[in-house]
Parts: sequence; C-alpha cells; structure tokens
Amino acid sequence: MSSVATSAPAAPSANPILALRRAGPFFFVLALAALVYALIGPQQFANALTIGAIYALIALGYTMVYGIIALINFAHGEIFMVGAFVSLFFLGEQLGQTGPVRDLPVLLVLVIAAFLVTMVVVGLLGVLIERFAYRPLRNAPRLAPLITAIGISFILQNVVQIIYGPSPVNTPQIIAPTERFGLLGASIGYVNLFVLAAAVVLMVLLQLFVNRTRLGRAMRSTAQDREAAQLMGVDINRTIAATFFIGSALAGAAGVVYGLYFGNISFVIGFQAGLKAFTAAVLGGIGNITGAALGGFIIGFVEVTAAATGYFVWAQALVFTTLILVLVFRPAGLLGQQLGERA
Amino acid sequence: MELRKLAALAVGTMVLAAACQAGAPGSPSAGASGAAKGTLKIGVTLPLSGGARADGAPALRGVELAVAEANEAGGVGGYNLELSVLDHAVNGKYNEQQGAKDMQTLVGDTSVIGAVGPYNSAVAKVQIPISNDAGLLQCSPANTNEGLTKPDFGALDYRKNFPDRINYVRVATTDDIQGPAMSAYAYNDLGLRNILVVDDVTTFGTGVADNFQKEFERLGGTTADRIGANADTTDFVPIITAAKEKNPDGVYYGGVVPSGGGLLLKQMAQQGLDVPFLGPDGIKNGSGEDEGALIQIAGSDESKNSYATVAAIGDFPAKAEFDGRFTEHFKDESDFKTPGAYSGPAYACATIILEALEKAAAGAADMAALREAVRANVTAGTAFETVLGSVTFDENGDTSQLIISFYKVDPALKNGKGDWVFIEQQDFGGAVGGAEGSPEASGEAGGSPEASGS
Repeated sequence: MSSVATSAPAAPSANPILALRRAGPFFFVLALAALVYALIGPQQFANALTIGAIYALIALGYTMVYGIIALINFAHGEIFMVGAFVSLFFLGEQLGQTGPVRDLPVLLVLVIAAFLVTMVVVGLLGVLIERFAYRPLRNAPRLAPLITAIGISFILQNVVQIIYGPSPVNTPQIIAPTERFGLLGASIGYVNLFVLAAAVVLMVLLQLFVNRTRLGRAMRSTAQDREAAQLMGVDINRTIAATFFIGSALAGAAGVVYGLYFGNISFVIGFQAGLKAFTAAVLGGIGNITGAALGGFIIGFVEVTAAATGYFVWAQALVFTTLILVLVFRPAGLLGQQLGERA
Repeated sequence: MELRKLAALAVGTMVLAAACQAGAPGSPSAGASGAAKGTLKIGVTLPLSGGARADGAPALRGVELAVAEANEAGGVGGYNLELSVLDHAVNGKYNEQQGAKDMQTLVGDTSVIGAVGPYNSAVAKVQIPISNDAGLLQCSPANTNEGLTKPDFGALDYRKNFPDRINYVRVATTDDIQGPAMSAYAYNDLGLRNILVVDDVTTFGTGVADNFQKEFERLGGTTADRIGANADTTDFVPIITAAKEKNPDGVYYGGVVPSGGGLLLKQMAQQGLDVPFLGPDGIKNGSGEDEGALIQIAGSDESKNSYATVAAIGDFPAKAEFDGRFTEHFKDESDFKTPGAYSGPAYACATIILEALEKAAAGAADMAALREAVRANVTAGTAFETVLGSVTFDENGDTSQLIISFYKVDPALKNGKGDWVFIEQQDFGGAVGGAEGSPEASGEAGGSPEASGS
C-alpha cells in the first residue's frame, strides 16, 4: 500500500496516461449522463438530478468521515433526518411558515436562514457525537466505533420519534412545488432547480475549503497519515471535529432540501437515504469527495431510469447491481480511495 | 466469560418470567372479584403506533367498547373480560415478524379465548398458521385478501396442519369483490377509461390491484400503466412523470397509507397530475385531523378527488346508535374519538367471540376446552346477531355479508381539514353463487393474451 503511494506520485500531473486514467471516471459519468438523458428525456433527467443531488449531499459526509478516521459513520443517515426536522422546527414552528412564499426577497432570506440554522445545529450535533461516541474509541478495535455508530443512529431515531411522534409530518414547502418553467421541452419545477443549485454551490464551497484553506490542508494531511500530521503540528482532535462539523452540516443541508422538495418527513427517512448515500460514497470511492458526489448522481440516474422505463419495482436491485458492477471493475470505486490523495 | 454469565442470567430471567406468565392463567379464579369464574382475555393484534396507528386504532376502540359493555353487564358466562392488546407496528409500519411473535404470545397465554385482528393481510398470512396449529379463534375486522381463506387462492397453505379446523374468520369481505366493485364504480359512475394502477408490492396491495385491474379491463377500460412501488418508496416523482405521458384519467392505489398512499397523492398534486385518486380500504384511514391519515399527509384540498372502498357494511341499521355509544365512551381519549370504517366490524368480531363464549362457558372443563369450544361455536355455521346485522361464516371462515361501501373525501369537513363521507354501499350477496364463480371468470378474462395485451 505504502509502496504504491510512494512510487505513484513521481510524476503526478505530467504523465498523460495517468491524467487520462484520472479523467476516465469523469468521462464514464458524462457518458452515462448522456445515455440516461437520451433514454429518459429532459423531464425525468431533471428528476434524477434532483434526487441525485440529495443523495450526493448526504454521501459527502460519509466519505469525509471515512476518509479521515476510516469509520463508516452509520449514524450519518440519521443526522440527515435530524436536519430535516431542525428545518421543520425552524421554518414551521418558529417562523410559522405553512405554504409557499411568493415574495422573492423574503423567500431568499427564509431559505438562507433555514440553511444556516440547520447546518450549524446539525454540524454541532455531529461534533458532539464525535466527541462522546467516537473519540474515546479512536484507538479501540474497528468494530467498537461501528457499533457505537449504530447505537447513535437508534438514539437519534428514538429521540425524534419521541418529540415528533412516529407518524409522517408535513413540512412547509416555502418554494411553491407547483411553480414551473419551461426548459428544453420539459417543465422544470423551481424547487428542482433550487435543490440542484444548492447542492452544486455547497459542493464547490467544500472543494475550495478542502483544497485552499489551512484547515482543509490539515484534513488532507490527517487523512493521509494521522501520526505524521500530528508530528507536523496539526491539531488532530480539532481537525477531526471540523470534519464531522462539515460532513454533518452538509447532511443537514440535504435535510432542508428534502423537506422543501417532498414536503413530508418522518423519523425513518434517514435509514433509506443513508443507505443510498453510503452506496453512493462506496460507488465513487469512499474517502473521495468528488467520487461521493458523482456516486450520488449515478444512483439518482439509476433509480429514475428504472422508473421511467417501467422497472420501478427493481430500482433498489438495480442500484446495488450498479454498485457491484463498478466494484468488480474498480474495487476502490470510481475515483479511488483517499481523501488525502484525491480531494 | 462475563458475556456467557450475562447470557445465562438473561435466559434464566426469561424462563422465570415465562413460568410466572404460565402460572397466572392456570389459576383463573385467583383474582376474580365481580364474576364468579375469573377473568378471561380477548387478544387484540393490530398495528397501533406510528403512521399505522390510524389503521389499527379505530378497530381497537371497537373491541374496547364491546368488552367494556360486556363487563358492565356483569361479564359473559360468569367470566370477567379483559384485553391483551399487542401492537405489531414497527417504525410506523405493520411488521409481519412482530405479528407472528404477538400471535405466539396470544396462543401461549391460556387465558386468551379468542383474538381480534390483524388489519393487514400480510400479517394474517404469518399469523394464521400459528393460530391454526393452536386452534385459537381469530376474527379479523379488516383483512380482505382472498387467499387467506379460499382454498382456490391458496389458503390451504396457511392451515396446513388442520385444514378443516377453521379458526380464522373475518367480517370484512374479500378483495375479489372489493377490487372489482371499485372497477365498476370507476368505469360507470366516475366515467374513467384509462387508469394508472400502482401497488405497494405486498400481499394485500398487489392482490387488490390485480382484482381491480382485471375487472376494469373486462369492462372495457384500459390500464395506462401498472407500477409496483415497494412499501418504503418516498420518491414517487419519476413514476408520476412517466405516467403523465400516458394521460391517465384516474389513479388506483393498491396498498395502505403507511406504504406510501399519502405520499403518492401528495406528489401527484405537486406534479400536476390532477385526476381522481381511487383505492381500497387501505387508503381510508382517518380524517385530516388524524396523524398518519391519507388526508392529513396529502392535504385536504389535494385529497378532494379521492374515492375509497371499504370491504364492510358502512351503513348498518344500528349505526347512529352505535356511533353515539362509541363517541360517548371515548370522549376523553386523545385521538380516534369517533368511529372509523373498521370500528363497527371490530366491535362485531368481539361480539361474536363473546356470544360464542356465552354458549361455551358452561360445558368446558378447562381453559383448552373452552378455547376449542369458542372456536367450534363460531365456525359451525351459526348466525350471530352483531351490530353489523346477522353474520354467518362459511366453510372457509368468510362472512355472509358481501357488502362493499364507497367513500369520498369531503375537504370541507373537520374545519377544512377534510374527512371521508359515506356515498353508498352495494350488496354482492344476491349472487352468492355468482360471486363464487366470478373471480375465476374474471381471472380467465384477465389471463388471456388479448386482454392483457390491450
């Protein structure tokens, strides 16, 4: 493993073959997107991008946490679910929103406030979980934090169930779900556009953060070699906490857009969405941020294509068939593994 | 080592607990205060929490009322009665494994002389083999899948060990009547011709959707598309988009609300598919005020074009009087204060068990004999006078009342939150012989290549 790592970076960007190999997965995804577009048309393509964006946002947190402490954070799906409820609490209960807001400036303020509040609250929740459930077990056998993660996931589910009851709850859809505009012969909802735009903006910000900031560099170095990073003066605890904050905040953002898009949430939505997002992260190469985003969109494509072609009942099976096929040919996922190597 | 000790301790505790449980009903006269002979239990096995509470709670209330009234009247056959209520909803949805466990609990409790439930046919499938082996009478207020009782539809698989000892009866009629009844209503009364059929890929949902589709096509309608959306689907948008291209003039949902009925209707409205929404009893589960109800999830205005069948009599002669007693009895409860579609049938189930107990109580030597006598009484072709009217069970345990009721959503009720209103009921009992034959006839029609190809 380490020998590969030391021999590969000899000529990282100059080697055209290596560059091609790196670009390969992107071409694969682009080709897949083109194929899907041709198959299902613009209307369904918009649906696929929307649900794919939600999966991608959740997948980012899985992949960041795995990248930095090699933990599959099974509570992550539940963090997304909590995000959806925090957004409901803020928009619905605190601000008393019930339906569409037609005044654009007000709508913008509301949406941005919902994102900020939810992302901060859920981000802090992630930090708290890391501090009390994972940090004490950082040097324990791998299985221990995995089990704690599952435990946390049940705790979060039960807490939300106690507070909001086990029935599905309607959330305020402040972006009118029936408002649409025409594009390429399709009629696209403004809410779809918003979901996709929010996801893309957050992903770009995340890339900039990881690649351009001090803390981002600390994250990458911790992911590559925790002890060496520590020796070089990186505060490991702070870096890992920051990773949890950002990963969880993104899941919280996914919760906000989920509530806006579907208008109905329940305490069990975290499991399904978490499973799909985890699959997306593995598909893209767990530990790899770009990979997780691509993986999310691929799963959206597969699901919607299944629905559009009349095989909706097979959607789940097709998602996992895709995962297996990708892993057979690229065992480390589409874009390889490490946060440090590729991010 | 420590783990092993813990495990041993846990097993020990469980054995002890089981012994205690077994001991209690063995001495039925122990805690008797009012009635001479002690206390007997009626089991209730329904989904009662989460999104599924809207399904099970109205039926539970029916049983509660019947038992409360029987106790007030001085008990039945010298016994006081109490309920053993078990909830098999897990994470807000009915759960077959939990249903099977609960039935084992009821079967194992010798003071249980009969059980009311379940609500979902998929749960009945796993419960009937257990109750059949034990000979425990089970009366479902709401199960409609024809395969649960009728040997032609594979019912013998569920009563393998005692095929002739019928222990499962139901006061709701079957989906080979419920599905086609809605087909005729959709085709003739609503004038629909091209319907999108969605089912939740469960015993009940797929079954009733098949029955609906076959009859609708036999009448001359077409199926715009048939889609299976499994019970944990949350994103129906792509299937709605796909279906819109086929211009359906109605949607039939074979399934229950916790599987996604409410979400489908909500997302149809958002995607601008504004056509009548039809379904079986699974979509009629409470008003817009009840959490987890179709109208509450989708919204009252979005549900205004919704129609549902209920496989039981909706307008029974004593209904006003029953509703009055029900509302009075539960006025202090926090939810489900007014009767639902299956409150009356559940009350009837309890009545039937109690009437059978009345007849059996004198002759039975012990608890096992009493349980068997109750079962034999119910399934012997006896006519029972229930709140629904006279009910007799046939050789498979199916009710003599082949009545389907039709309901529609009125969005103005309950202060604008919406509720279901009764439209009419149709009695399919006039052609009992025809009803026996008709599923096969429509089965042939649906199975032929011309019909399915069109």
